Amino acid sequence: MRCQRSIGRVGAVALVLSALASCSARAGDATEANCPIEEGELFVLMAQSVPSATLIPCIEALPAGWTYGGSDVSNALARFWLDSDRGGLHAVEVSLTASCRITGAVDITNSTSEGGVRVYLDEFDLHPFSANKYFVFPGGCVTYRYRFGAGAEATLALEADEAVTFGLRTVLVRQVRDELGLTLCGAGAPPCLNGD
Amino acid sequence: MDARTEGIERGRPRDHGHPEPRRRPSGEPPALPHELGRSGKFFLLLVLYFVIVITAFLVFPSLESVFERWDHTRQLWVTDLRTPGLTRVMLVINGLTSSWTIRVIRWSVILALVVFRRWRHLFVFLGALIVTEIVAYNASSIIARPRPLGIPILTGWQGYSMPSRPMASVAVSAVGAMYALIVAGKPRSIAKWVTGIILVILGFARVYLGVDHATDVVMGAVFGVAVGVASFRLFAPNDLFPVSYQRGKAAHLDVGGRRGEAIVTAIRDQLGLAVLDVKPVGLEASGGSTPLRIKIEATDEEPERYVFAKLYAKSHVRADRWYKLGRTILYGALEDEKPFQSVRRFVEYEDYTLRLLHDLGIPVPRPYGIVEITPEREYMIVMEFFEGAVEIGDADIDDGVIDQGLGMVRRMWDEGLAHRDVKPANLMVRDGELKVIDVFFVQVRPSPWRQAVDLANMMLVLALRSDAERVYAHALAYFSEDEIAEAFAAARGVASPTQLRNHLKQDGRDLLAEFRRMAPEREQVSIQRWSLRRVLLTIGVLFAAFFAMGLVISNWNAFA
Repeated sequence: MRCQRSIGRVGAVALVLSALASCSARAGDATEANCPIEEGELFVLMAQSVPSATLIPCIEALPAGWTYGGSDVSNALARFWLDSDRGGLHAVEVSLTASCRITGAVDITNSTSEGGVRVYLDEFDLHPFSANKYFVFPGGCVTYRYRFGAGAEATLALEADEAVTFGLRTVLVRQVRDELGLTLCGAGAPPCLNGD
Repeated sequence: MDARTEGIERGRPRDHGHPEPRRRPSGEPPALPHELGRSGKFFLLLVLYFVIVITAFLVFPSLESVFERWDHTRQLWVTDLRTPGLTRVMLVINGLTSSWTIRVIRWSVILALVVFRRWRHLFVFLGALIVTEIVAYNASSIIARPRPLGIPILTGWQGYSMPSRPMASVAVSAVGAMYALIVAGKPRSIAKWVTGIILVILGFARVYLGVDHATDVVMGAVFGVAVGVASFRLFAPNDLFPVSYQRGKAAHLDVGGRRGEAIVTAIRDQLGLAVLDVKPVGLEASGGSTPLRIKIEATDEEPERYVFAKLYAKSHVRADRWYKLGRTILYGALEDEKPFQSVRRFVEYEDYTLRLLHDLGIPVPRPYGIVEITPEREYMIVMEFFEGAVEIGDADIDDGVIDQGLGMVRRMWDEGLAHRDVKPANLMVRDGELKVIDVFFVQVRPSPWRQAVDLANMMLVLALRSDAERVYAHALAYFSEDEIAEAFAAARGVASPTQLRNHLKQDGRDLLAEFRRMAPEREQVSIQRWSLRRVLLTIGVLFAAFFAMGLVISNWNAFA
């Protein structure tokens, strides 16, 4: 993680001026949200954003035609989004929150679902394709928000589904402890100091 | 030539009763040494610290854990103080960094600047905000430092922690408000202290709440202050664009305190004149320098008298550069001039033109010389003060004055010169004699167009205090009808100084049309001059504007 961070940072300094013009990561294999989660700074911040979440979403591999759009992390909400050459800009947004409102959503959890993750679907529409898919797990919820442009095929959603996966928060907790000697407060970590 | 200036010009020892000029020996500081104040040095140290920290972070990632633990320990000192009551207080204080509070502060400043029509300050303020937000946002993404670890975070946050964007936002807004709205001097000094104290309390609150590390807070505040101060000092310096709520009381360079003492010492040492008093004069009409009236001590031969001086600083050179860039883009090679590269060159040029005109017998102030206040930063040009003279706009003028004005232009034409700033404020009358001042824009071997404009402007100034027919009749004794026709074909719009155009508007008569009616017909001379330089400059400026706009749009998240 350190090695990759170092290379990334030195490169970033060299390209600081061009980076100023466009803050978000663009097309290519490497994005700040790439798995595994122990190799990206973004995931520590996401874990801090929703301390109760036991899983963190990340991008396993972007299919052809998909690019990483950017991220926005604040307390209680962490999200990143993907752009598609067919689905349009911001075609899929992946967000992590402590809980989701799933009233009225259809439970589509299948038998292969692991780790107590339940999957729900709502706001489904085919023309143009739009839907919300919720992954509910202990301490958190990840929402895939599909909003494709007119004419984009619904099967694109399958590509996006394959691109995104989850990492375990405990991996990050261990890594922060080993590398920095500090506690990543929240699920899977010992209690933090000075709690009110 | 009086005894005093004779002595100066020949380099002879002074007459009895005058201080002796003295050469500053090597190693001795100048009249006003350029020094950073204590706060400036402290600030520079902080900037240096952060440059080192970030560089070390980027080049040696293994330092990260050492630094992170060190910062964590400092943070625990503060978070150990947590109590429910204190936490409530800190949450209230932290409300100052909320996006809504910052928006209210910014919109209030913008509104005030619009009400007071302080456009330059408004644009500098907006520019400082944009730069701060974009750079802080991108820097935090590059550094990618998580929020403090090992302690619960007690309030809301957004994005990475270093530098602290809320602290940078508050700092640049407060500093901007201070420089754009508060008068320089004691009020601004008080505001600086208040801002500093608020930033310290805010920083403490954010560290206490565990939302920022101590380093993030200091870095954000230092960065916001640095951008605010640098923006206003560079693009709206107080000596050129003072914040004032009294009409006609522009401050320019402060000539009191250390600078006032330095002026007295420098004039005594470099020109051998004993100064009794230094007073700013005619500030309203002067944007390019700080004009001063200096009282000189009586000697055995002479009573007390005044000299006139113009104080130039680096900010004047920068303003001149922007002015010329604007003129080049708007009109092309209108002025056919290049910007000066230093204050020294600036003042040397005026000294040269003054001496040139004086040698030619044109009634300009007698030059006394250049005085160095701070090497390469501040210089003063000292000349005769026309005591008892009044601006031509307030004087009664007779045929003699009209002839002197026209004769002056004729003489400059014959010598291959142009004054380029003929306007009421630069023409003085004393005992029926016309004097010309402010020769900074004088050009040797100017374009024929520029000389023609000088003639038209002189005739217009003279007609303002008489009438067009009379001036035209006198002009025929010095210029041919074709030359006068050329002058009024060339004098269009911006060719005349703003002050002259304002006087013409107030006068009510259409003097320009009257002159054109009397002169033979001639096709108007275009003021637009196209050149490769103008095209490239215009493209460059447009590109920079689009780039800035693109930067704002691309980084819209930074303003969220």
